[in-house]
Amino acid sequence: MKTYAETDTLDVIIVGSGAGGAPLAARLAQAGKSVLVLEAGPKFTPAQYTSDEIEAREIYWLNERLSGGRNPQPFGGNNSGTGVGGSMLHYGAFLPRPDARDFQLHTETGRSVDWPFRYEELLPYIEEVESFIGVSGPAQYPWDPSRQYAYSPPPANPAALKMRDACDALGLRHADGPTALITRPFNQPYFGERQGCVSCGACHQGCRNGAKSGTDNTWLPLAVTYGAEIRPGCFVHTIETDQAGRVTGVVYKQNGQDIRQRCEKLVLSAGAVETARLLLHNGLANSSGQVGENYMTHISTQIWGEIDQEVRPNRGYPSLTITEDMMRPKDADFAGGYLIQSLGMMPITWASNIARGSTRRGADLVRTLAGYNRSIGMGIHGDCMPSPENRVVLSDEKDHFGIPKPLITHSYGPNELAMHAHASRLLTRMWDAIGAKDLRILDRAAHMMGTARMGKDSGSAVVTPYGQSFDIDNLWISDHSTFPSATAANPALTIMALALRTADAMLTH
Amino acid sequence: MTNSSDFPPFLASDHLSRRTHDILKERLEEDSSGTPRTLSSTAFSVLDRIVTVLLPQEEILGQQTLNLALRVDRALSGPRDGWRFAELPSDSQAWEQALLTLNDLSTSQFERPFSLLEDSAVAAFLDAMGEGKVGLDTPNRLNPSQMQKWALDLRADVIECFLADPRVQDRLGMSANLNGGDERFQGFETVQANERKDFEPATKISSAA
Repeated sequence: MKTYAETDTLDVIIVGSGAGGAPLAARLAQAGKSVLVLEAGPKFTPAQYTSDEIEAREIYWLNERLSGGRNPQPFGGNNSGTGVGGSMLHYGAFLPRPDARDFQLHTETGRSVDWPFRYEELLPYIEEVESFIGVSGPAQYPWDPSRQYAYSPPPANPAALKMRDACDALGLRHADGPTALITRPFNQPYFGERQGCVSCGACHQGCRNGAKSGTDNTWLPLAVTYGAEIRPGCFVHTIETDQAGRVTGVVYKQNGQDIRQRCEKLVLSAGAVETARLLLHNGLANSSGQVGENYMTHISTQIWGEIDQEVRPNRGYPSLTITEDMMRPKDADFAGGYLIQSLGMMPITWASNIARGSTRRGADLVRTLAGYNRSIGMGIHGDCMPSPENRVVLSDEKDHFGIPKPLITHSYGPNELAMHAHASRLLTRMWDAIGAKDLRILDRAAHMMGTARMGKDSGSAVVTPYGQSFDIDNLWISDHSTFPSATAANPALTIMALALRTADAMLTH
Repeated sequence: MTNSSDFPPFLASDHLSRRTHDILKERLEEDSSGTPRTLSSTAFSVLDRIVTVLLPQEEILGQQTLNLALRVDRALSGPRDGWRFAELPSDSQAWEQALLTLNDLSTSQFERPFSLLEDSAVAAFLDAMGEGKVGLDTPNRLNPSQMQKWALDLRADVIECFLADPRVQDRLGMSANLNGGDERFQGFETVQANERKDFEPATKISSAA
């Protein structure tokens, strides 16, 4: 890997090596730009990832966040990552495409907001991402027969099979979902051999054989091949500007030392909480007053139940079956829609959800925990609207770098509550239909989006539709903080596609 | 105390990575006695009482139960999980104050420390906490809304510490850690229902069978 001196001025510095930073780094490096990616976390050795869910926290972002509002969201585990590869080290690899209608929800319903461009404009980038990283899926995707996936799906575990039965019973369509993993070995260009998925079930604890399509085995090796440097263990805390207000570089903490690195352009790809925190802490790019505002999640209601079979929910790809039939349900009393997926789960994650989502205790709790091997689940991802109630601000409390900890306020509005209620009823009917017992609905939110939204108007958006700051022309944002609304799809694919689009815009700017 | 009969056979499996093996073995050998590092002795005595009612271990582990309160206390001194409720002070403070809140309430309502309460009274506290009906609006104690949130942390941490122990995993027949060794990363060749492979522990308690 090429390395740059501290005295070098880079064409581009990117803060974060996940879904937002890595594709952009590759694109810019391929175009001949000098690129440095600063990653706060370490570089891991995939073969050393552990399925032990306590120790596996090493790949999560553990710098404490304060969670408030009526629906305080758990961070850390399976929410935010750290390390070379970012949150794609731990992501579940469920890779549905966003629904075109979700980009125009305001036009459709008069609620939420439209994205500043149509889905069709992003589609070529989506296809490029899928083609490059490797995605498995069915031969025929019921909701979009035109699309093709390069890899056949992994084996269906019992939760996936039971969800198929439940869909059949209620007249819903179903399919193997798009999953960002490969099911046969592949010699990934610029990286090397990746093995096919072996159904180990520990996607959220880090993929040990390269089957999961992360940035560490796809975009980052490509970037490095074209001269980018990935520098781990670097926590950026200061953005420096000149008298004209343009960015001149950053200061990061590495091994306890503050190090300055200069750049022509800066890209923030640190995620919806950290990107906002960095901008707020530095008092930058906020003439709109929108930095930190409109924090969003996905409504991620789950149902769990037991069946009279030993299913061992840790085995197999966790969330294979999908239905998109609820993207615009006929009986909806809300705007937008939601995806449903089947769920297996690692035991401590599963039990922790039960701990926080129920009041069981004593013998009842013991019996519930003992039922792990008979448990099957389903979960949704539902669209979430921007709301002035929900935001990231700086708290009064400092972290170990001396930077204010982020305070995240998250409350469901009427639309989110209606969607949760709709999904709770439907999921219950589905699990009732296949005879699952001891049903438990878990009210939870997942993912994070918003806080630096893109738009056409500098008065109501932080960045342009291409991710460029309205206030500082050499500052760009490439991550889910630019999402104007959540859409129902898991965010990784949209983030990567937006990253390529932003990179192209930077090259022609 | 650990003895050889406690040693879960799955720890010898080649479906377990060396690193995971070492993590689990170290956890298995964690001292079951000792003094708390994070909590005061009064707070610890409340936690010790609560966990026996929240999560009675005997059905799963027989008489070889874990010192769960001590494990939670140790975990509170270690790396945390990356977030906390904004309404609560830092984790170690929140736990200390929550547990002392319960002790104060026990003293005022039952004229004895929490550690001497009957199971039914402890259970009633747990339920009332979950409903936001237990707390004190005094300095260094938690109010009912804070106690309601802390009760979720209590439940999660106790359960996580319990399931992290390889003996518990073995008794419940959990094979999550047997997802692949170092020589060969086997994964699971079958993911079908009712197809347990020999290397996977069978469930050993009636309610899990």
